[in-house]
Amino acid sequence: MKIDEKVVSYFGLCNSPVDKEGYLSKKGELKTSYQKRWFVLKGNLLFYKDRQADRDLIGVIVLEGCTVQLCESEENFAFSLVWSEPGLRTYKFAAEDQVSQESWIKALLSASHSYLALLLLDMEKKYRGESPSDLISAGGGMTATFVLESSCERRCITASSLHNTHHVRCDAFDGFSSERGKSFTMPNFSTTAADQPGACLSQRTSALSLYMSQAAGARPSQLLQPQAVPSSRAASKKSPKLWPKRSANTVPASGAALPTMEWSGFRLGTQEDFSKLHEDFGKEVKDLIVDWSRRGRAGEVVQRDNLIDF
Amino acid sequence: MRFNEKELVFLSRQPSEMAAELGMRGPKKGDVVKRRLVKLVVNFLFYFRPDEEEPVGALLLEQCRVERDDSQTFSIVFLDEAERRYLFECDSEEECGKWIDSIIKASYEFMRRNLIFYRTEIHRLTGKDPLEQYGISDETRFQVSNGLQLMPRDTSSL
Repeated sequence: MKIDEKVVSYFGLCNSPVDKEGYLSKKGELKTSYQKRWFVLKGNLLFYKDRQADRDLIGVIVLEGCTVQLCESEENFAFSLVWSEPGLRTYKFAAEDQVSQESWIKALLSASHSYLALLLLDMEKKYRGESPSDLISAGGGMTATFVLESSCERRCITASSLHNTHHVRCDAFDGFSSERGKSFTMPNFSTTAADQPGACLSQRTSALSLYMSQAAGARPSQLLQPQAVPSSRAASKKSPKLWPKRSANTVPASGAALPTMEWSGFRLGTQEDFSKLHEDFGKEVKDLIVDWSRRGRAGEVVQRDNLIDF
Repeated sequence: MRFNEKELVFLSRQPSEMAAELGMRGPKKGDVVKRRLVKLVVNFLFYFRPDEEEPVGALLLEQCRVERDDSQTFSIVFLDEAERRYLFECDSEEECGKWIDSIIKASYEFMRRNLIFYRTEIHRLTGKDPLEQYGISDETRFQVSNGLQLMPRDTSSL
């Protein structure tokens, strides 16, 4: 399959907004060595070139259908982009330090088109006054206030950190007790992290990364990705010609046309909206924190109410 | 330029609401209209020869504009120096309109601008930054384009 390179290249080099850029080391596909490259993230495309000052782009990675994970590596501050379908790649990267690593992971986690689409849908609903948390709606009253308060409590949990913890919770968790001696890294993506040095989530290890890779292998539907509760529909494996043709208006009159997508790593349930997804994750984070604290610190039980709110 | 072809081909297999056989003409002089199965997935337009599993090619729908050439024909014009133009012939006026609309709205940059618009408006109308509840107010990709940041603490300003 060919790609119109001129178009892609133009987009990469033009002055459209850059979401993140910087040096990362990238592991070659065949070689085991890491090469330092300058990366530029724009939307759901990750461009790279040899050096910042270079004019030409070497390549681009399209960030759809993949997950971002911490990974085991001889390099420090490593993370990877993983496509869990057989035959598809895993890209491995190493950042220069932890701050950079966390920042890149956070940026890449929310880079997909689908994430933006979901968030945009949520904003549209709020703007039109259809969302329960919307303050504009006339009949909001007590209900609206209540919802807003409870969602504010969780407000500092970013999508990224939620997805991280959500991911670890799956499967790999049973193995955790055997690793009690080791501490673990929970990248803290919270915007208020600076205020909470005692956050119980920040300890160091490689054990967490191992679990994340294991969990990734075991449960592709639970990967680090903004996603709704998996729908009961199986991922479609049809050939491209057999997509259903819908004669109904495919473009919602009121909002952006959202391409519907389903594959094993990602489910976009039709009823889920961004705020519900966010709330679901928030609850899971709290449960997870309680569990971790109970197992990881001998004798210390963290009361759910005493948890630090990120 | 290197790109992750297999992963992109995988993307092209995902179900899409906008998929149809159209006449398609490439940007080069001498290109003729050919029947292609055209499919919109995220911000890519894939095109297949009828009855083939793997796409012939993929077009990134960024930095382009969509023009209506006549009632059933539209073009995607890329904003590079050459203004390369891909032409598409639809079976009906309605189909043509849907394609134009969908392609415009599929652009990541278009969606981002919309998001920033809604964010700004909701903040203006309610005094609250709607992204704050998700803790993503400071993310680079959602910053108001003229450089002004919506300060989350600015809730009293009305």
